[in-house]
Amino acid sequence: MSAHPIADANPEAGQPPFSAYKLGAAYDEMFAADGSVRPQFAALAHRLTHLPPEELQRRQQACETSFLHQGITFTVYSDKQATERIIPTDLFPRIVTAKEWEKIEAGLTQRILALNLFLKDIYTDGRVLKDGIIPRSMIYGSKHYRREMRGLPVPHDAYVNVCGSDLIRCEDGKFAVLEDNLRVPSGVSYMLANRDVVRRAFPNLFRAQGVRPIDHYPRELLATLRALTPVREDVSIAILTPGVFNSAYFEHAFLARQMGVELVEGRDLLVNDNVVYARTTSGLKRIDVIYRRIDDDFIDPLIFREDSALGVSGLFNAYRAGNVVIANALGTGVADDKAVYAYVPRLIRYYLAEEPILENIETYLCREEKPLAHVLANLDKLVVKAVGESGGYGMLVGPHASKAEREAFAEKIKADPDNYIAQPTIQLSTAPTFVDGGVEPRHVDLRPFILHGEKTVIVPGALTRVALKRGSLVVNSSQGGGSKDTWVLSH
Amino acid sequence: MLSRVADSLYWMSRYLERAEHTARLLAVKLETTVEQTREEADSSWARVVAALSSQNEAPSDTDVPAIAQHLAIDRDSDNSLLSSLSFARDNARQVREQLSVEVWENLNRLYLRLRETGVLEQRNNALFFRETLQDLHALEGVTYSTLSHGEGWYFLELGHYIERAQLVCRLLDLHFGAAKQTEPKYLDWLVLLKFCSAFEPYCKAYTAAIRPDKIAEFLLFDPEFPHSVRFSIDRICDALAHVAPGAPPGRRASVERLAGRLKAMADFTQIEELMASGTIARFLADIAAQCEEIHAAVYSAYITYGAETVL
Repeated sequence: MSAHPIADANPEAGQPPFSAYKLGAAYDEMFAADGSVRPQFAALAHRLTHLPPEELQRRQQACETSFLHQGITFTVYSDKQATERIIPTDLFPRIVTAKEWEKIEAGLTQRILALNLFLKDIYTDGRVLKDGIIPRSMIYGSKHYRREMRGLPVPHDAYVNVCGSDLIRCEDGKFAVLEDNLRVPSGVSYMLANRDVVRRAFPNLFRAQGVRPIDHYPRELLATLRALTPVREDVSIAILTPGVFNSAYFEHAFLARQMGVELVEGRDLLVNDNVVYARTTSGLKRIDVIYRRIDDDFIDPLIFREDSALGVSGLFNAYRAGNVVIANALGTGVADDKAVYAYVPRLIRYYLAEEPILENIETYLCREEKPLAHVLANLDKLVVKAVGESGGYGMLVGPHASKAEREAFAEKIKADPDNYIAQPTIQLSTAPTFVDGGVEPRHVDLRPFILHGEKTVIVPGALTRVALKRGSLVVNSSQGGGSKDTWVLSH
Repeated sequence: MLSRVADSLYWMSRYLERAEHTARLLAVKLETTVEQTREEADSSWARVVAALSSQNEAPSDTDVPAIAQHLAIDRDSDNSLLSSLSFARDNARQVREQLSVEVWENLNRLYLRLRETGVLEQRNNALFFRETLQDLHALEGVTYSTLSHGEGWYFLELGHYIERAQLVCRLLDLHFGAAKQTEPKYLDWLVLLKFCSAFEPYCKAYTAAIRPDKIAEFLLFDPEFPHSVRFSIDRICDALAHVAPGAPPGRRASVERLAGRLKAMADFTQIEELMASGTIARFLADIAAQCEEIHAAVYSAYITYGAETVL
């Protein structure tokens, strides 16, 4: 990759704190290829070049302390004392223009509609399978397909009520979808917490920029959940969490607090006569809607994994009887595995008779003969992913892997080709990030959150995840990623 | 309110009271040691250790810095100040969504600061405990003024005062009752009052004439002083009147009967009877036992009840 300091092209932009800023092959969010500052970043750039580096560091420090004190942490179990670490927040905001957002919003709305229609189809008539749009074996053979869901109606035909899609910006500057997270996506609390600390660090900048607010997310989520039940008065809604040891526990507690709903664990609930109750000090209280943050597998030991201590015995029967709504519905994972992903553009055309607004990343399905040969011959150029995995696990980043690692992985692919897909190594775009008192480019992605039920709502904001290691393309927090506040501009 | 949440709030509050008690005893003890002879200091340290540790766990050391270190930040001891705070925080984490941001942040900050403390500095360790005490008082104030005084708050109150009543009984027992080892001297009585933040309030009520029977009367029966046993019992009764508002009357009665009995004991016993007949040891043990009974009754009525009994 050729890298040149922006100062080569634009001496003015090469001033501190940008003096070490080098542009590579990737699209840069702030600087155009000629080194000029993109207009949406102009005010920010001006402001930052006039802030002394110590001041920047002080604000960054204040932000980290604030996260630690608020307990916005995840837990690392390495030694006897479980250490709590914050997910590093970078104070340098990422900016999305109004025009870019308009397209993202339309594209994601289209996508969630198609995916919900697809889920309804495969759990009822299976038209898409009969028409040969997608191979039958891929659906019925998926470990996330839930036979138990067949023919079960869900409110508004909305299977996925909360979705967090991962977008990346390609070298040509276009946004593309990398992954749909349709099961229990997390990160929205970081979106809100990041906004909070950045607002405190740069209060003046906000007003001038026309940043669209995102604070209403919890209210929108509550409205979405409420509309899932015909019960109109005194709807009792609960968030079901695996408990305090889950890495996203902070988020579960945060959302419960912000929405004013009960945060429950499996042991708080019981099912009697197909009705779900929470055990309270005053007796049992009926629960109408459960926003679950537990995977399908663990939700009811009577139906799914019997060794689950997190779930509630009998919950699925109560669900089947229509006495409780579970959001997201069970079995949505079948539509977000990495093989089905490759078919989403076709699904959009099939169900909506529209062209996809947002592109997919080119994907080779190892289950098909020709692509498989291509993948095996080009392992050094591709990223290979296991179909059912997430969080950056079970993948091979070809260009960064050793020959031995590639050969070992090739064997795994040959042994179970259906389980793998491959994509070209994509240069995620880079965004300016504070590093040691200066600013350097780091790779980022974008995770907006989509709410879908009676209607579709996308709060104008997102979680921008950033790979803090220089050159790294892996943004997952479990693999050393951080995050940034994301500004969607109103004009 | 979820039973599990009530459970966590209750224990969070008990552990905080225990932490506060530990911090205060250590601060007071370290501030007053200088005025005592070696022997006096040893026996009064022995009392502090007995007040704060379970029997099989008490440090055998007589070295003051070592004892203070152990009682304050020994991770391996469940009774240390750090452990109490850590348990309080674990419980608070379980119910993060029930607490205000301010309560959580104050508690979390205090815990993180203590955890960072390795070895106590000898020169100003009394100051260290004073500061901790101050932070705990601040936390109490923040809790009072930022949480709704609803059911959850009353579970906090319940835990707070059940713990306090028992801790004060234990202190009194070490000075008057079955656990007394050596006869307390003038300074020990003074220290006892300070252990309960009671020196000046006592003087206001009885003048600075230090009389053991008056001290016992004040710490047991004063209706207005927040560290007296009777005050704690009043708060317990008040809390019980407000928790689990929708519980069936039979269930509530099982708890309130016990609380009423305890309150009658605190309201109508005279210090003269206890002192004259030497029954104070039994009286103290009785109060502690009744607090335990109330705890058990609250749990079986509101928290761990079998679902089949209510369906």
